[in-house]
Amino acid sequence: MTAILAARLAWRQLLSNRARLVSAIAGVTFACVLVFMQLGFRGALFDSASNLPRALQGELFLVNPLTLVMFRPEPIARVRASQVLADPDIALSVPIYLAQTKFRNPETGRQRTIQLIGFDPEAGAVHFEGLEALTPALKRIDTIAFDRRSRPEFGPITPRLEQSGPFEVEVGGRAMLVVGLVALGTSFGADGNAVMTETNFRRIVKERQPSKTDLVAIRLKPGADAQAVKQRLTTILPRDVMVLTGPELIAWERSYWEKGTPIGFIFGFGSLMGLIVGMVIVYQILFSDIATHLKEYATLKAIGYSNHYLRRVVMGAALMLAVFGFIPGFLGSIALYSLVAKATLLPLAMDAARAAAVFGLIFAMCASAGLLAMRKLGEANPADMF
Amino acid sequence: MSSPIALSGVSYTYDKGDRPVLREVGLTIAEGEIVLLTGPSGSGKTTLLTLVGALRAMQSGSCTVLGQQLMGASEAQRVALRRRIGFIFQQHNLLGFLTARQNVAMALELDPASTERDRLARAGEMLEAVGLGAKAESLPGQLSGGQRQRVAVARALAARPGLVLADEPTAALDRQSGQDVVRLLTDLARQRGVPILLVTHDPRILDIADRIVAMEDGRITSAPEPATGPAI
Ligand SMILES: Nc1ncnc2c1ncn2[C@@H]1O[C@H](COP(=O)(O)OP(=O)(O)OP(=O)(O)O)[C@@H](O)[C@H]1O
Ligand SMILES: [Mg+2]
Repeated sequence: MTAILAARLAWRQLLSNRARLVSAIAGVTFACVLVFMQLGFRGALFDSASNLPRALQGELFLVNPLTLVMFRPEPIARVRASQVLADPDIALSVPIYLAQTKFRNPETGRQRTIQLIGFDPEAGAVHFEGLEALTPALKRIDTIAFDRRSRPEFGPITPRLEQSGPFEVEVGGRAMLVVGLVALGTSFGADGNAVMTETNFRRIVKERQPSKTDLVAIRLKPGADAQAVKQRLTTILPRDVMVLTGPELIAWERSYWEKGTPIGFIFGFGSLMGLIVGMVIVYQILFSDIATHLKEYATLKAIGYSNHYLRRVVMGAALMLAVFGFIPGFLGSIALYSLVAKATLLPLAMDAARAAAVFGLIFAMCASAGLLAMRKLGEANPADMF
Repeated sequence: MSSPIALSGVSYTYDKGDRPVLREVGLTIAEGEIVLLTGPSGSGKTTLLTLVGALRAMQSGSCTVLGQQLMGASEAQRVALRRRIGFIFQQHNLLGFLTARQNVAMALELDPASTERDRLARAGEMLEAVGLGAKAESLPGQLSGGQRQRVAVARALAARPGLVLADEPTAALDRQSGQDVVRLLTDLARQRGVPILLVTHDPRILDIADRIVAMEDGRITSAPEPATGPAI
């Protein structure tokens, strides 16, 4: 009951100075949007970083233990792909070639780096969206499939293909026919992707030794236990390859971006800055509210209100600012997310866990501002009132 | 029943080593008695009032207010006692963002058993009693100085205090409105049988008192005991 009365007093006090209230709410909203954007970018980066391993859908993978990140793979011996077939639980094993090369925008002529992914589409180890229908076309010489989720700087590939069918583009200095579209998605390591057969891959990337590949995707027979197969492969294969399950490959790619680059730190730091700015604003507002009402607070103490009650008033004001600042910040961030997602093609979207986390941070931000401002209450001395 | 205020041997020093501001003060106020405290500036009147009002911790002596011994009382005990005292300050000290009615109701919100309806109704009655029924929904900024001080009187009496303490409540007011406020206060207190200890320099209001106590240099110089009984 007293908590409600204290909150009501806080609310009335906030309302009494509209300009101050609006600037306080704007401050919280600003901090809120900033944190949402930072965490959004961070999440999108880590999500998109694992776009490729996620799309590969293998149950087990072989990679070079020295490989740090998929857009810069260390090669492994191609023969490992056939060696693992000795295991009775393995149904398929497909070498995958990865390289980055230049792609010339057919409209502007400008070059941009694209990720090439080469493998045997007929083997059925890889299931990119749209790939199955293109398999016969891709088997022809000098053909590629283009990732429709690539950044627009590669040119109007999708509309042109949909309008007038296959056409030639220049990939790695070679004329290649775009025969269709798959859906994969960009990442911070790759602005776009092109998918092709192993043969066509080698026609673009000529310096590759035929005995080397970059990644091996393994599919198991139905009912096989991936962990058990992984154990067996790890013991029999030489140390030049590492066996990873699908989720492990995704986590490993993600962890490069999280731990191996300062990107995670940068976004964390950006969020912290937003919170600090928001806290200073809220503190300023609460502090000046107390300072201008010091006499009134002292009067309240004199007529029998406890320090505890007045602290509740300050805390109530702080938490109301948190709630009223969060709501527009949350809605604004949803709008900004879709704007930015359109512009960057990053998978930026609001989710409940992030909304809850940001609300918690904003709440903590306002609460700490309230705790700091409360110290000013000590100056309200009822003995000075007479 | 015991006296609302009974002091004996109360001394007080602000800073260690300074000369004491109060020296062995003794004072007793009877039920329903209205006592004026006068004396030259710096004689310790305000200091005495803050001690009696439990706004300041005691240093030595004995001071029983409404049955609560204040010597060695905890902060919580002092806060609890303050709820049973009506305070009127030199300045009205109303909360500027609350209406007159809401300001008066603030004194009633300390009672957890009260309901919002009752509080607002009682605040309205008190404002009627001080002649401000029509101004109940005004903010303090829209009232005159005298009206604000009358709201403060209503606030001080709203929670049916056992004692009213006032320190120069007329100081910020002109002659006429100052007199009006004090008469209002004493009339209301007399109707309710509430004792008042009121500090004043104002010679024009001396006649309202049952007794006048004079202070000089930290000591009470006249009439520390109640007369035969409260003059009604
Ligand atoms: N907070 C304080 N700290 C230190 N000394 C104080 C404090 N308040 C008052 N004093 C001193 O105590 C003495 C008594 O002050 P007090 O305010 O009680 O006098 P008073 O009788 O109320 O005077 P006035 O009629 O001017 O209001 C004065 O000498 C004053 O300087
Ligand atoms: Mg004084």
